[in-house]
Amino acid sequence: MTHSETMTIHQVLFIVMALAILGSAIFVVTTSNLFRAALMLILTFFGIAGLFVLLDIGLFAVAQVLIYIGAIAILIIFAVMLTRGMQGMVPRNSQAVAAAVTVGIIFAVLLLLFGPLRVTVDVARWPVFSLFAGNASPRDVGGIEWTPPNQPIPAMPETYIADFGRSLVDGNQYLLPFLLIAFLVDVVLAGAIFIARQRRPAEVIEDRRRQAEEAAEEAEAMRQAGMTPDVAPLPEGAVASTAEH
Amino acid sequence: MQNLLNGIPLWWYLVVSAALFCIGLYGVLARKNAIALLMGVELMLNAANINLLAFWRYLTPASSGGLAFAAFVLVIAAAEAAVGLALIISVYRITRSIDPEKLDQMKL
Repeated sequence: MTHSETMTIHQVLFIVMALAILGSAIFVVTTSNLFRAALMLILTFFGIAGLFVLLDIGLFAVAQVLIYIGAIAILIIFAVMLTRGMQGMVPRNSQAVAAAVTVGIIFAVLLLLFGPLRVTVDVARWPVFSLFAGNASPRDVGGIEWTPPNQPIPAMPETYIADFGRSLVDGNQYLLPFLLIAFLVDVVLAGAIFIARQRRPAEVIEDRRRQAEEAAEEAEAMRQAGMTPDVAPLPEGAVASTAEH
Repeated sequence: MQNLLNGIPLWWYLVVSAALFCIGLYGVLARKNAIALLMGVELMLNAANINLLAFWRYLTPASSGGLAFAAFVLVIAAAEAAVGLALIISVYRITRSIDPEKLDQMKL
């Protein structure tokens, strides 16, 4: 197999989707408008679904659209709208430069490991590499050829979705993690509802109830003494917030 | 020369996923808003998913291990988003702020 001069339609699609993914992802982490960030996050998820189509895994492209775009992105948009006061804040904190440098170094290492760059190291000159490779010399670091060069990629079985479903309920394969994940989702849903419902710490609620009762008693005493209370007897919102809980 | 699927070598997916992971990591490290931080985590989980599925398709499409773990990542991402956003909304109700640097009430 050799590189042809013209790119195939799949390659063009891949490059377009990769640029869309990376461009919108960079927008997501740099913009100060959170709502736009959430919308661009949807574009990122969509591009990733496109990559799954190019991998011939339509099942996961659909799952990506349903779960990430349909559920997670909508959830994030709701959270953005519920925390409206935090919209126009500075997008970066004080360690942004250090973070960018660190991330750049990590990306360089990953590019060396996964990318096409094949760096050859002369072990005689850099003896530390003999720790990893015995006496092999000179040695390739990075650019690992994951697919064997002269073998075709194994064919994907036509029934891969059925096999996948069966493996999830097969006691010899992924039944246990599947059950644990199901349990996790149960606990998480209950926990999320509990956390989001609990409006204020219990002590605050108790304090407010006591305040409201004291104010009510005071007003009652004043009324019995023949005076009309000239100020509102209850602190504002006390009754409402205790009734709410 | 590497093997191609639809004309695309495996390392293209790996490089895109590495870049996406690094962008997400930058988002987690450098954002001043807890929701933006969660978005960064979602980007990182997506990068992991691209890697899982690309390796599965190119190397071991006959077994369903890659699909199973990608599905687990998907479910855990949804669970993480639900709990994370519930926590953020709860914290916002109490402190009127979701700046992670200001949420240090539990510091000793």
